[in-house]
Amino acid sequence: MALNPTITTLIDEIEPGLIADRRHLHQHPELAFQEYETAAFVRQRLEQLGIEDIRTHVGKTGVTGVIRGTASGTGGNVLLRADMDALPIHEETPVEFASRKPGVMHACGHDAHTAILLSAARVLADSRDRFAGTVTLCFQPAEEVPPGGGIGMINDGALEGVDAVFALHMAAAMPTGTVAIAPGPVMAGGDLFRITFQGKGGHAASPEESSDPVVAAAATIASFQSVVSRNIDPMDRAVLTVGSFNAGEAFNVIPDTAVIAGTYRYFSEDTGKRIEQRLTEIATATAHGLGCEAKVEIIRGYFPTVNDDAMAELARLALVDALGERAVHLAEPVMGGEDFSHMLRAKPGAYFVVGCYTEVDGVNYGHHHPKFDIDEDSLAVGVKSLVSIALSWLDHNKEV
Amino acid sequence: MATANLTRDFDEILPVVVADRRHFHEHPELAFEEYETAAYVAERLRELGVEEIKTGVGGTGVTGLIRGGRGDGKVVMLRADMDALPILEENAVDYKSQVDGKMHACGHDAHTAMLLGVARILMQHKGDFKGTVKVLFQPAEEVPPGGAQAMIKDGALENPKVDAAIGLHVAADMPAGQIAWKVGPGSAGSDRFRVVIQGRGGHAARPQAAVDPVVIAAQAILALQTLVARETDPMDAAVVSTTAVLAGDAFNVIPDSAEIRGTVRTISTTAREHMAKRLPEIFTGIAQTMGGSAEVTYIQGYPSLQNDPAVVDFVRNAAIELTGEDNVIEGKLGLGGEDFSYFSLEVPSCFFNCGTRNEERDIVWGHHHPRFDVEEEGFVNGMAVMATAAMDYLNAE
Repeated sequence: MALNPTITTLIDEIEPGLIADRRHLHQHPELAFQEYETAAFVRQRLEQLGIEDIRTHVGKTGVTGVIRGTASGTGGNVLLRADMDALPIHEETPVEFASRKPGVMHACGHDAHTAILLSAARVLADSRDRFAGTVTLCFQPAEEVPPGGGIGMINDGALEGVDAVFALHMAAAMPTGTVAIAPGPVMAGGDLFRITFQGKGGHAASPEESSDPVVAAAATIASFQSVVSRNIDPMDRAVLTVGSFNAGEAFNVIPDTAVIAGTYRYFSEDTGKRIEQRLTEIATATAHGLGCEAKVEIIRGYFPTVNDDAMAELARLALVDALGERAVHLAEPVMGGEDFSHMLRAKPGAYFVVGCYTEVDGVNYGHHHPKFDIDEDSLAVGVKSLVSIALSWLDHNKEV
Repeated sequence: MATANLTRDFDEILPVVVADRRHFHEHPELAFEEYETAAYVAERLRELGVEEIKTGVGGTGVTGLIRGGRGDGKVVMLRADMDALPILEENAVDYKSQVDGKMHACGHDAHTAMLLGVARILMQHKGDFKGTVKVLFQPAEEVPPGGAQAMIKDGALENPKVDAAIGLHVAADMPAGQIAWKVGPGSAGSDRFRVVIQGRGGHAARPQAAVDPVVIAAQAILALQTLVARETDPMDAAVVSTTAVLAGDAFNVIPDSAEIRGTVRTISTTAREHMAKRLPEIFTGIAQTMGGSAEVTYIQGYPSLQNDPAVVDFVRNAAIELTGEDNVIEGKLGLGGEDFSYFSLEVPSCFFNCGTRNEERDIVWGHHHPRFDVEEEGFVNGMAVMATAAMDYLNAE
């Protein structure tokens, strides 16, 4: 069953407005939890479309609204989410709609996500008679900065009455016209750690009067290598990286402290807990064994992003309906993190990616690069995807 | 048995020595730039009648000979260093440094003036010894590779061939007039290393695409522990300390490289050479094993200074006889480098300390401190011990 031709035509018609919205957002990027103008823009658009129950300042700068279907019967409530925040990056693309704010840039495609959801809202609002039930629109702040904007929106009631959640992300490396989705874990969970080794400094030539925190840190880093190789199920996936190791400055002074910091990533919460437990034990015991003390700080990041198997299959079929069999690929799990994990822990749903491959000066730059850009033909693909998934889910969950 | 009690002689000439010292103090010159100091020294030696004065030895070094009147014999070399430090003096004395940012903050002004005083008295006592005293004023003790090596290369220990060497250092932590001697190692060999481990940076979640220099650094630091534990003679002594690690900044980025700094201290030449060979091998070997590379800069400092028991005996005996048992102590192994060590590796030597601390006059600040100063009354014992030990050495046998 292909997406209704009327809807496809409508999406084609509104494409110029979709691109204009994305460019407007791109020119006016705002950092996490500072999406004031973006939220005002979203609210204004939603009001123009006659969206109901518009709420602003949800989880600080978030915006929600609902579209109630008018078809006969009762239905469920499906939430579509877009993130709105930009990054502290100075844009270097040659496009005419480049960021007008020095040092701030939509370098991850959240401008596209927001524009796509606004257009999807327009299409769904025009198609109320085609579905029973409710579409909840969710524009969230601060996806880029853990712990993220999702938690605040959930705490402010954004998921009340919602039965399922869906979201998309642009994918720079995939060709325009393709999408990818998978059941189960699709994005990693990740936390940060900082460990301070407290030793006893002294003269480099009198080690017996010191407790050397450099050696304690080195021994800990070496032992960390056994966490993935010895403590994690070989069929599971995890990574533990020490990204910095800093101690002392002089050639002839044993420093008082050494500080290491890093991150660990995982696809199940149990694995994350296991890594945290092991790295804490190793650092504490190794330091103790070498006459030092280790202070372990964990800075929480995102949970693994885990798609509900049934929801992922529903979404995959809806994507095939909208884009054709050949456009839909199986997504490979990636080690990056995503704030949508919070909503996916609370409600069944799925997260998928939309190809937007383009080149700037002959290079396909990745997300977070100062020359990141998207092929704007991908915007309509995103709208078709979201509309198809929402309608498909509502169709499966209506009671006549 | 001392040849003669020279204390009274040195008491008498102390004002001249103090005047020389203050002149040097007012006109400090940095390592290898001791032009005016060397010219002043050479002029003084000429005035005293010292023979075969050579200048420009090993850069700005000066040597001269004092031949004893009792016939041919051995040759003993007496050494002073002449260089000052790049330090802005904070003392309010009227002989304060006249050169901004340069200061005799280690006492080399005293060493030079004292050796001129020793030369003066030895000239007066030529008839009391046989053999030859070679006075040697060297540049650049403060900056490795130092002036001693340069003078040795220029033949300072030849023509005539030097049989023994004696040097002294004033000591801010010893009361004025106290003498300290030590047999065996007087200072540790002190070398430094800087290692840059080159990996390949990347995202923390994609370790397979990176070569992690942090892990290489950790493994190498652990492996270094075996240099002392497994590769050094348990009866010898050595220290390897990694005192600084600089790698990365972010939580989620594998850095491109890691820098490690540290120091190696050794007593024996065997251990020193072993460390210089093995430490780079450990870094490059482990880095290579893990897919990276290591660039090791091994900075040779001064070797360990070796005090010869026989020469030390002349110094200790002279000190006890001249200053009394209570004023003479056994010194500790110093951690600082001293390039007299190069002489001590060539000929039997003794390097001793002469106290110049005076708490009543607030002369308590350590060497290299902007307020460092010396109690000039302490010079007499140092000079008398040096001159007496030299004469006793020459007159022995």
